[in-house]
Amino acid sequence: MQRRADNRAWFAVAPVVVVVAFTAIVPLMTVVNYSVQDIFDVDTRLFIGFDFYRETLRDPRFAQALLRQLAFSALVLAIEIPLGIWIARALVRNQGKSATGFLILLSVPLLVPWNVVGTIWQIYARPDIGLLGAAVTALGIPYNYASNVLSAWVTLLAMDVWHWTSLVALLSFAGLSAISPAYYQAATLDGANAWQTFRHVELPHLKAVLTIAVLLRLMDSLMIYTEPFVLTGGGPGNSTTFLSQYLTTMAVGQFDLGPAAAFSVLYFLMILLLCWLFYTSVMRGGDDG
Amino acid sequence: MAEKRVHWSVYAFGVYLLLPLYWLVNMSLQRNQDIVGEFAIVPRNPTLTNYAEIFTNPVWYEAFGNSLAYVSINTLVSLTVAIPAAYAFSRYRFLGDRQLFFWLLTNRMAPPAVFLLPFFQLYSAVGLFDTPFAVAFAHCLFTVPLSVWILEGFMSSVPREIDEMARLDGHAFGYFFFRLFLPLIKSGLGVTVFFCFMFSWVELLIARTLTASEAKPIAVVMTRTVSASGLDWGVLAAAGVLTIVPGIAVVWFVRRHLARGFALGRV
Amino acid sequence: MASIQARDLRYTYRGATAPSVSGADLDIEDGEAHALLGASGAGKTTLLNLLAGLFFPDSGQLKLNGEDVSERSGRERNIAQVFQFPVLYPAMNVRENLAFPLRARGWRKANALARVKEVATLLDVTALLHQRVQRLSLFEKQLVAIGRALVRPDVSVVLLDEPLTAVEPSIKWRLRAALKTVQRELGLTMVYVTHDQVEALTFADRISMLMDGRILQTGSPQRLYEQPHTAVVATFIGSPGMNLVSAQVRDQWFVVAGQLLAPAPGVSDGVCQIGFRPEWAHVRVDRESDEQFALPVNLTGWRAMGAVGNRTDALLTLDHGGETLFVHQSGDEPPPPQCRLYIDTARMVAYRNGVLLARPTGNDAA
Repeated sequence: MQRRADNRAWFAVAPVVVVVAFTAIVPLMTVVNYSVQDIFDVDTRLFIGFDFYRETLRDPRFAQALLRQLAFSALVLAIEIPLGIWIARALVRNQGKSATGFLILLSVPLLVPWNVVGTIWQIYARPDIGLLGAAVTALGIPYNYASNVLSAWVTLLAMDVWHWTSLVALLSFAGLSAISPAYYQAATLDGANAWQTFRHVELPHLKAVLTIAVLLRLMDSLMIYTEPFVLTGGGPGNSTTFLSQYLTTMAVGQFDLGPAAAFSVLYFLMILLLCWLFYTSVMRGGDDG
Repeated sequence: MAEKRVHWSVYAFGVYLLLPLYWLVNMSLQRNQDIVGEFAIVPRNPTLTNYAEIFTNPVWYEAFGNSLAYVSINTLVSLTVAIPAAYAFSRYRFLGDRQLFFWLLTNRMAPPAVFLLPFFQLYSAVGLFDTPFAVAFAHCLFTVPLSVWILEGFMSSVPREIDEMARLDGHAFGYFFFRLFLPLIKSGLGVTVFFCFMFSWVELLIARTLTASEAKPIAVVMTRTVSASGLDWGVLAAAGVLTIVPGIAVVWFVRRHLARGFALGRV
Repeated sequence: MASIQARDLRYTYRGATAPSVSGADLDIEDGEAHALLGASGAGKTTLLNLLAGLFFPDSGQLKLNGEDVSERSGRERNIAQVFQFPVLYPAMNVRENLAFPLRARGWRKANALARVKEVATLLDVTALLHQRVQRLSLFEKQLVAIGRALVRPDVSVVLLDEPLTAVEPSIKWRLRAALKTVQRELGLTMVYVTHDQVEALTFADRISMLMDGRILQTGSPQRLYEQPHTAVVATFIGSPGMNLVSAQVRDQWFVVAGQLLAPAPGVSDGVCQIGFRPEWAHVRVDRESDEQFALPVNLTGWRAMGAVGNRTDALLTLDHGGETLFVHQSGDEPPPPQCRLYIDTARMVAYRNGVLLARPTGNDAA
C-alpha cells in the first residue's frame, strides 16, 4: 500500500517544525547575523560582510586546529570502524548468553556522561594514581598526558576508542544478525575462504548500517569537545585543541563574537560538506546493500 | 551454525572496556589521602565516605535532581512532538516531506559549540536561563530529529493496512492511534526514550552554558568541583560511578526493545 | 554425481527433548530426483542439513558413492544447495555470481566463463548475465541461485530446501519445469525438501515421506498415492486425502455396515479400515444390481471444482454414520441427499492398526 498524498499531514509535522525552528533556526540566524556585523554595543553595529570569514580563514590557529581535527577524526575512524566490525563478527557467531552479557557491557560506555568519560580516563591514565599510567610508566615508557604531546594524543585516541567503538560494534552486530545463515552455508559450499565470505557476504549486507556508523562517528568526532576538555584541556600547549575547543575559547573566553560566529558557520558547513561527500560517494558505488 | 568459542580478542576488548570502570569504582571506595598516598590495585581501606558525602551534600544531590528534571522534560517534549510527525512521515506524502525530513537530520550534524552563544542569548531573552526547561529545549535540537527518525522506522514497519482496517471497523482515529497503533510500536517508543535519555544525560557543553546556579546539572557540578575544591579524587570518582548508574538501569529496562531497534537498523 | 546411502541417522538439537531425526534410512540412486515430503516439524530440513554437512549425526552413517562421509563437512562432500529464498552475492552481477564457485576453487577465468555460459544457456538466463542482482525479479534471482548450485560439474549432490516457497504461485511451475529439465539432462542427483505434495509428486522420481523424524515410506509417486504403507501416509497424500471407513474382517471377507464388500484372502478376523481415493468411488441414487456392495450415505456438500470435457467435476462431501467421506465425480447437478456409494474394490486398500494389509484382490505388483 502506497503512502497517501495528503497535505494536511503538515498539521502533524508542525509541532516538530516549531520546536526545531525555536531550537535551531533562530540561533542559527543569530549566528549568521553576528558573523556579518561588527557589534560595538546594543545600538551600534556595522555591516562588514565577509570580513570575519576572511579573518577566520587567514587565522593560523584556525588552520592548525582544523588540521588536528581532521587528523584526529581520520585516526578515530581508521581504528574504530574495523575494530567495531571485528568485535561484532566475533560476537555474532556465538549467540549464547555470553554474547548478551557482552552487548550490555558494550552499551555501557555510550551511557557515561561525556565529561565523566574524561574524568574516568583522567584518573585511569595519570602516572601517579592511574592504573594505565602507572602500568605504562612501570614498563619504562616515558608517559604523561599532561606534558607530553604524544602521550596526550595516544590517551585521547584510547579514550575515544573506549567510548565509541561500541557504537560501531552494536550497529554492525545488528547488521550481521540480520544475515541469514543460508548465506554463510552457501559461501562455504561454494568454497569461499574467510576473507571472501567477509568481502562478498558480510560487507555488502553491512553497507547500510556501516554508512550510518561512519556518518555518526564522522560528525561526532568532528564535534568532539567535552572529553579532551576534561582530560587535557586542549594541551599540552595547543596540541589537543580541536575546532570546538578553539571556538568555545573564542566565543566564551575572549568574547570575539563576530569571528566566533563566522567560525561557527564555516564549521557547520564543513561538517555538512564532509558528510555529504561521504554519503554521495557511498551511494554512487551502487544501490546495493 | 554450530556454536563456536568467542575469539580471545573479544575478551581482550571486554577487559579494555572494564578496566577504566574498575579503576573508577576502586577510586570511589578510597579516601583521597589513600589515593594520593600509595598506589594500590585493590583498595586497602575500602570506605563509603565518598558516597556518604554526595548523599548528604545538597550541592550534589540537588544537581542529580536537576539533571533528571531536564532529561525527563526533554524526553517528554521530544516524544510528544515526534510521534505525530513520525506518523505523518510514515503514512503520508505531502509537499516538501523529503526536504523536511532531510533538514531535520542535518540538525544532528550541528556542532553544539556553534549554538552556545545564541542559545545563551535566546534563553536569557525568554527568561528560561538557569532553568531545567532551557537545557531540555536546547537538547531538543538533537533529540527531536533523532526521535522522528527512529519512530518513523518503527512505524513504517507496521503495515499500513492496519490503519485502513481500524477505519473500516469504525474505530475513531484517537482510539486507533492510542489503543491499537502505539502499542504495536512499543519497542520503538522504548528505543526512543532510551536515546533521548542517553543524549540528554551525557551532554555537558550546552547544559553547562545554560545553567548558572539554580539548575546546575550533575555533570557540571563535577567539573566545577574539580577546579574549586582542589581535586578530591575519591568524591569525584564516586560521583562518576553514580552518573553511570541511571544509564545502566535504562539499558537494563529496554534491553529487549533495543535488540529490535538494532534489527531495524534504526539506532 | 553420487548415490546416497544413509543408515539409521539420528540427530537431536541441543537442549531439545525429542530427536528431530530418529533413525532415518535413505537410499538414493545416482541421478535420481528424490523428494523429502512432510509437514513442518517433520524433520525434513534437519535431515537435509545432515546431508549438507551443516550438522553431523549423533549416530548413524552417511555414504556418498559408497564412501563414508558422516564426519566430513559439506564442502568436502562437494555438495551444492539451493535455499528457500534466493541466496546470491549482493555486490556481484549475475555472471560473477555464477562464476564464483568455480573461481573460489581455483578455476582459470576463461574456463570458468565458458562453463558459466553453458549453465546460463541451460537455464535460459544468458540475457541476464550482465545485470546487477538487485535488478532481477524474485523468479530470476532463484533461477540464478539454482544456476550457481549447478555450475560445478563435479558436484556430488544438489540439495534443494523448499526452493519454490518465495516464488509467486503463478510461475512456480515454470521454475519447477526448468529444474526438472536440467536434472534430467545433466543426470543430477537431487534431494528436494518440500511440504507441498503436488511439488513432490510432480518433481520426484521417488519420495520419502517424513513424520516426527522418521521416514514412513519411500517409493515412487504412484506407489505413495496408490499403496500408502500406513494410514497416516494415506491421509497426508492427496487433496483431500484418502477416505478411511471402519470395517471388519469376517471369514476372509471385508464387511462394512453389515454388507460383504470384497474378499480378504488370508486376513485374520478383526477390525480394520478400508481406504479409497476420492476418485475410486462414485455415488448413485438407484441400486446398480443386488449383488454389488453399496454404502448408504447422506450428501452434506457439493462443490464444483472445474470442468472435465463439457461436464463439471465436483467434490462431494458425504456422511456415513459419522464418518466424513469425499468423492470426486462429474455431473452438473448435485445428487439427492440420500444416495449410495460404490467403491472400486479392485483399487481399494485396507489398514489394520494403521498399517497396510495385504491387498485383497491379489495383483500386488505396482
